[in-house]
Amino acid sequence: MVALPWGRSAGHGATGDRSDRARVTILALVVFVMLAAIASLGTGAAGVSLGDVLAKWISGEELSVRERVVLFDIRLPRLLTGMLVGASLAVSGAVMQGLFRNPLADPGIVGVGAGAGLAAVLAIVLGAFLPPAILAVAGMHLVPFAAFFGGWVTTLILYRVSTRAGRTSVATMLLAGIALGALSGALTGILVYIADDQQLRDLTFWGLGSLAGASWAKLAAAAPIMVLALLAAPMLARALNGLALGEGAAAHLGVAVQRMKNLAILTVAAATGAAVAVSGGIGFIGIVVPHLLRLVMGPDHRFLLPAAALLGAGLLLLADIISRLIIAPAELPIGIVTAVLGGPVFLWILLRRRGIVDM
Amino acid sequence: MLEARDISVTLGRKQVLHGAGLSAQPGAMTVIVGPNGSGKTTLLRAITGDLACRGTVTLNRQDMRALPPHALAERRAVLPQASVLAFPFTVHEVVRLGLTGRIALRPDAAQLPGRALERVGLEGYGARFFQELSGGEQARAQLARVLLQVWEPVQDGIPRWLFLDEPVAALDIGHQLQVMHLARRFARAGGGVVAVMHDLNLTAMFADRVVLMLDGRVLAQGAVREVLSDQNLSRAYGCRLRVSSPPAQGATYILPQAAEMA
Repeated sequence: MVALPWGRSAGHGATGDRSDRARVTILALVVFVMLAAIASLGTGAAGVSLGDVLAKWISGEELSVRERVVLFDIRLPRLLTGMLVGASLAVSGAVMQGLFRNPLADPGIVGVGAGAGLAAVLAIVLGAFLPPAILAVAGMHLVPFAAFFGGWVTTLILYRVSTRAGRTSVATMLLAGIALGALSGALTGILVYIADDQQLRDLTFWGLGSLAGASWAKLAAAAPIMVLALLAAPMLARALNGLALGEGAAAHLGVAVQRMKNLAILTVAAATGAAVAVSGGIGFIGIVVPHLLRLVMGPDHRFLLPAAALLGAGLLLLADIISRLIIAPAELPIGIVTAVLGGPVFLWILLRRRGIVDM
Repeated sequence: MLEARDISVTLGRKQVLHGAGLSAQPGAMTVIVGPNGSGKTTLLRAITGDLACRGTVTLNRQDMRALPPHALAERRAVLPQASVLAFPFTVHEVVRLGLTGRIALRPDAAQLPGRALERVGLEGYGARFFQELSGGEQARAQLARVLLQVWEPVQDGIPRWLFLDEPVAALDIGHQLQVMHLARRFARAGGGVVAVMHDLNLTAMFADRVVLMLDGRVLAQGAVREVLSDQNLSRAYGCRLRVSSPPAQGATYILPQAAEMA
């Protein structure tokens, strides 16, 4: 049984309908994301203050070139990238947990991120050998699409291996994830040997996970995939709710189960792949965010998915602010921040759930 | 009218149904009985589309398996034997999952989960967590969800169906009777009910039509008095059984004691 933070029924009224509470939570999260965005725009090594910029804007004064570059070419693409990546990671976590019917499924933990990363590295290193014509057409989109494809293949393998007759074995899923992660890591290691200096620098960035390389160009390549995945996710909400009762019950409720599973796997792969392509491996967002939200407003995916997108976006912005402030003027890779904050929360989830995770 | 013909199912290497079939009418309660392993649940699962099978299943002469899931969900609801819930939903939220299709558009849709819970005797349970209920309470909460899915037994003149797999297995006698009355009420209101049952006495009390199974085949089907005979039951269950009627009401009941005494 799940130990719950509040009593049997306290906290969600006498009816057990938590949709009002979910709506309030979502509104609060919108405010949270806006505040985090403003804070993120005002934070950075360059010492450009948002207040000054605002004052100038109100008085109609021209911004200096420096201010304009820092705000619009560095901080704004970084802000948008952070929001999209955070939303994508949290939503792909929530969708994957719904698909696997297990709150511990997360693209980062079960190797989907590693698979996407391997494909991205492959694209970086081997992309140089592609005919120039193809390279010119693929351009900036090569890496995000490769990552998406890698994430898709990994998710498919994972699902095939760990799900029998509609039941997912947690142990098999986690072990298969370890195997896939190790395999991806080893192959990535081999690629490091044949990479040149520039490629090596690009590769190092995958391991750590960072928003520092965010630019309009990278954003333009990955954003469409992430936005598509984020728009597709809410369409899965009813089906994922039905799936919580089991595949048979979902089908009897009118869910086209197989089609929905395919769409869910595509969504997870697209969101994770594109996020990994722009920011490398940022962990724990996908597991911590949906879990916290389920505690507050329940597991109804119609509310959980949009709320996860918001909380994921806001938390990643916060983590990014911390990563920029903590050893300023240098900055810490954001993957380290999310791991330091998310790791203990993940352990806490495991402690509380001990005994009900059926292996 | 629901008709299943020549249903054969193979699970692994073993063929568990050998050309079984049944017919059921809306407005009546059809109960499938038989000993353990006779294929009752398998037949129900083949009819509801949970299992791949050979043979045909038609609803008003329409191939049931050709209907898309959402259309099928408007026509019938299925109560599974037991289910494990993946996330901590409240009882209300579980029941609300039954609000699919046109019923979700009704102006009073928000009140319906509560009313469905009242019907199964779980009023006031909405805010409890489903996983914290006892087995019998979980079964009734699931029944409320299923009832909600086909809330009106007849919609636009088309009867809807309830498929119940051992609906009373986990229940005490009071709730067994309550659930059987609910199913009967659904049938009396024009809907169709097909249930798999273990309890022969409840079957005799509530069924309009009985399908008796043995070894993956239908041994007999028809009215209660014809099917639940000494001979049929003794053969199906492999022990001496004797059917009796209390003189006052003329209803049928089955006591193992009676057979021993004869």
